[in-house]
Amino acid sequence: MTDFPILTVATFLPLAGAAIVLAAGGGGRARWIALATTLATLCVAAPLYGRFDRSASELQFVESVEWIPAWNVAYGMGVDGISLPFVLLTALLGVLCVGASWTAIRERPREFYASLLFAETAMLGLFVATNLLLFFVFWELTVVPLFLMIGVWGAAGRVYAALKFLLFTLSGSVLMLVGMIALHQTCGTLDFRELARAAPAKLSPAAQAWLFAAFLAAFAVKVPMFPVHTWLPDAHTEAPTAGSVILAGILLKMGAYGFLRVSLPVLPEGARLFLHPMLVVSAVAIVYGAYVTLVQTDFKRLIAYSSISHMGFVTLGIFTLDPRGVEGAILQMVNHGIVSAALFLLVGMVYERTHTREIADYGGLARPAPAWCTLLALFCLAASGMPGLNSFVGEFLVIGGAFRTRLWLGAMAIWGVALGTAYLVWLYWRVAMGRTHPALAGLRLELGARELATLAPLALLAVVLGLHPEGVLALLRAPVAQLLANGLPP
Amino acid sequence: MTGAPLADLELLVPELILVGMSLVLLLGTGRIREGSLAAAGTVIAAILAAAAAILGSPGPARTGFGGMVALDGYARFFKVLIAAALALTALLSVRSRDEERVPRAEYHSLLLLASTGMMLAVSALDLLSLYLGLELMTLSSCILVGIRVERPATNEAALKYFLLGSFASGLLLYGISLTYGVTGATDFASIASSISERGFGRGPLLLAGIGLLAGGLAFKIAAVPFHAWAPDAYQGASAPVAAFLASGSKAAGLAVLGRVALVAFGSDARLLSAVVAGLAALSILAGSVLALAQTDMKRLLAYSSIAHAGYALLGLIAGTAEGASATMTYAFFYVFMTLGTFGAVIALGERGERLDDYAGLAAQRPGTAALLVLFLLSLTGIPLTAGFVAKFVVIRSALRAGHVGLAILAVACSVVSAFVYMRVVVFMYMKESRQPAPSRAPAAVLAALAAAALVTVIGGLLPGSLARWATSP
Repeated sequence: MTDFPILTVATFLPLAGAAIVLAAGGGGRARWIALATTLATLCVAAPLYGRFDRSASELQFVESVEWIPAWNVAYGMGVDGISLPFVLLTALLGVLCVGASWTAIRERPREFYASLLFAETAMLGLFVATNLLLFFVFWELTVVPLFLMIGVWGAAGRVYAALKFLLFTLSGSVLMLVGMIALHQTCGTLDFRELARAAPAKLSPAAQAWLFAAFLAAFAVKVPMFPVHTWLPDAHTEAPTAGSVILAGILLKMGAYGFLRVSLPVLPEGARLFLHPMLVVSAVAIVYGAYVTLVQTDFKRLIAYSSISHMGFVTLGIFTLDPRGVEGAILQMVNHGIVSAALFLLVGMVYERTHTREIADYGGLARPAPAWCTLLALFCLAASGMPGLNSFVGEFLVIGGAFRTRLWLGAMAIWGVALGTAYLVWLYWRVAMGRTHPALAGLRLELGARELATLAPLALLAVVLGLHPEGVLALLRAPVAQLLANGLPP
Repeated sequence: MTGAPLADLELLVPELILVGMSLVLLLGTGRIREGSLAAAGTVIAAILAAAAAILGSPGPARTGFGGMVALDGYARFFKVLIAAALALTALLSVRSRDEERVPRAEYHSLLLLASTGMMLAVSALDLLSLYLGLELMTLSSCILVGIRVERPATNEAALKYFLLGSFASGLLLYGISLTYGVTGATDFASIASSISERGFGRGPLLLAGIGLLAGGLAFKIAAVPFHAWAPDAYQGASAPVAAFLASGSKAAGLAVLGRVALVAFGSDARLLSAVVAGLAALSILAGSVLALAQTDMKRLLAYSSIAHAGYALLGLIAGTAEGASATMTYAFFYVFMTLGTFGAVIALGERGERLDDYAGLAAQRPGTAALLVLFLLSLTGIPLTAGFVAKFVVIRSALRAGHVGLAILAVACSVVSAFVYMRVVVFMYMKESRQPAPSRAPAAVLAALAAAALVTVIGGLLPGSLARWATSP
C-alpha cells in the first residue's frame, strides 16, 4: 500500500468529479455526483490521519515525478504535520459545501458543482505541494472557481464583489510570481526543502527583505491582514453559502500557510526585518477588526468581519516565533476554519428561508428554531474562546506567546478576545432572544435532517478539539520545532 | 556571388509549396465557389509546408542564395508556427467568407502569399531579403484587410494600414540604408563583424539607423508608439484577417526583430536593448490600460495584442540566446491563444463583435463560452495554461537581465489586463441575455478552436515541451 499515490488521488478526485458533473450532471444528478465525489475524497484523505507518523518533522506520503526538467521542477506531493490538518479540513468542508448547496443552488447546478469540485482540487493541491511552482499553480487555480461562484451564484452585489476579490488576489499573487522567479534564478530550485537549505545562505539580508515583501503581498491579501482586508467583507457577504464556507474555512488559511511554508523557512532574515511591523499590524487587525465587527448590522457581514480579527490572532501567533505561539496559531487556523464555516452555514440556512441578512429583521428565533439557536449558541461561544470549546486552546497559546514577546501585544490580544465575546453574545441576543419578529411568523424556520447532518460534524469537532486539542497539537510539535530551529532568529 | 544554384531552392521548399498552392487557387478562381474547398487547399499547403520545414534537409544550419537566406532551427521553428497560424486562419475563414461576398480563391491565395512573405522574412540573413519578405507580407495583408470592399469602415482600415505601413517601410528602408552607409554591408554577419571591429558602437549615424530599423519592425508587431494602426485595422477587417494579423504577422515581426537584434547587432548587446526595453514597457503599459475602455471585442483584442507584443519583447532585452528562446516560446503560445480567442469570437458570429452582446452567452453557448474563458485565462497568464508558461519565461529573462522594475511593471499590468479579460467573462456568465442565441458555428471553426485549445492546455501542463525546439539564431 505504500506505493499508492494517496495524495494525488485525493487531490485530483474532485477534478475528475467535476468533469463527470459537466458531462453527465444534467437533470438534478449534479449534486449527487458532487456528494459522492466529495465523500470519496474524504474517505481517501481520512486514513492519512491514522497512518501519519507524529514524531517525524519530515514530509510523509511523498510522491515525486519528473515534470519540467528544463526548470528543475518536479511534480511533488507530500504532507507534514502543518499541512495535514488542512488537507483533512478541506476534504471535510468539501462535503459540507455540497450539503449547504443542496437546495440553495437552483440555477445552473452543473457549473456550480463543477466549480466547487475544481476549487476543492486546487485547495487540496496547494496544501500537499512540495515545491513553490506547484504551490503557485494551485494558489492561482483557487481564484478562478471562486470568482465564478461569487459572480454567478452570489447575492445582489456579486459582480462587484467577484471582481474586487479577483483583482486584490491577483495583485498580490503576481508579485509572488516575480519573487518566485527571482528565487528560482538565485537558487536553481523551487523545492521547499532545498530552498530552505540553500536560500538563507545564498541571499543577502536585503534581497531576503525584498523577496519577503513580494511574498507578503500575496499572503497578506489572502489572510487578509490589515489594511488589505477590504475585499473580504464584500466577497464573503455576496458569495453563496458554499463560497463563503470555502473562503472563510480554507482560502484565508492559505495566506498564513504561505508564511509557514515559504516566508519563514526560506527567508529568515527577511522575516526578522519585518517582524515588528507584522506584529503591530496583527495587533491592529485584532482590535480594529473587532471594533468594526461590533457595528455591523448585516448578519453575514458581521461573521465576515469577525474573520479579520480572528485571523489577526493567527498572524500574531506566527510572528511571535515562539513555539507555543506558532502551534497555537496553526491550531487557531484549524479552529477558525471549523467555527467560521459553521457560522456561515448557519447564516446561509436561515437566509434561505427569510431572504434577509439584516440582523434587525431577526429576533426571538429561539422559539421557532430551537436546534438552529442551540447550534448558533455553541458556535458563537466557540468563536469567542469559551473554555472547553475548540478556539479557547489556540487563542490561549497565541496570547501566551504574545505576552512572552511583548507585554502590550498580549494586552491587545486580550482586548480583542473581550470585544469578540461582546459582539458574538450581542449578535446571539439580537437574533435568538426576545420576542419573535412578526415578519418571521409563518415561516418554517427549524432545521431539516440534511441541515443538521451538515452541521453535526463541525459541532462534534468543536467539542472534541476543545476537550482534546492534542489531536491537532501532536501533529504540529515536530514540524514547528524544526521550522523554528532552522536558523530563525528569536 | 553568382546566380543562386538550383540546390539552394531546397531551403525554400515551404515557401514554394505555399506559392504553388496560391497559384493553383488563382488559376482556379472561376471554378472555386465553395469557401471550404479553398480553405481545404490552404490547410493542406500549410501542413505540407510545416512538414517540409521540419523534415526537409535535416542536419546543421545551412545558408543559400549568397548568404541571404538561412535554414536553421530558428527559421524552422517560426516556419512551423506561421504554417500553423495560416492553417488555423484558413479554418476560421470558412464561415465569414461564405456570408460576405468575398472572392474565396483570391482571399486564400492572399493568405498564402502573406505567409510566404513571413516565412521568407524569418529565414532572412540579410536586410534586403528581410525587407522583401516583410513587404510581401504587408502588401498581401493590406488587401486582406480591405477585401470587404462594400464596407466603408473596411476601406478606412485598409487605407490606414496601407499609409502607416508605407511609412513604416520607409523607416525600415532608411534604417537599412544608414546601416549600409556606416558598415558597408547589408548581411547580418558582415554588419556584426564591422561593428565589433571598428567599434561604431556609439556613432550617431549607426544609432539613428538602429532606431529607424527598430521603429519599422515595431510597426509590424504593433508595439507602442507604432501601434496606432492596429485597433482600426482589426476592427475594420473581418475577424479571421484580424486574427491572422494578430498572430502570424506578429510572430514573424518578432522573429525578424530577434534575429536582427541577436545576429546583426548582437556584438554590442546594449545597442538595441535600451530601445527594446522602452518599446516593451510602453507597449505593456499602454496596451493594458487602453484595453480597459474598449467596448468592441476586436478593438479590445487589438489593444491586448499590443500589450502582448510588449511581453514578448521582454525576452529580447537581454540579448542572450536564453532570452531569445523565451521570446520564441512566448510567440509560439501567443499565436495559439490569440487564434483561439479570435476563433471563439468568430464562432459567436454576429454576437461576437460588441462586448454588450456577450451578455448571457454562457447559458446559450456553454461550450464556446468555456473555451473563450480558457483562452482569456491563458492571455491573463493563469497557471496550467500556455500563457502562464510564456509569461514565466519572459519575466525570468527580464529578471536575469537585471530589469526588476520592468518585471514588476509587467506583472502589475497583467492585473490590469486580467480585469479587461475577466470583464468579458462577467458579461458571458454573470449577465442575462436579451437576444436570441447565435447560430451554430461551422465544423471548420470548431476544429480550429479545438486545436488551439489543445496547444494551450498541453503547453500549460508540460511547460518543458517546447524548450527543445526554441533554439535561438
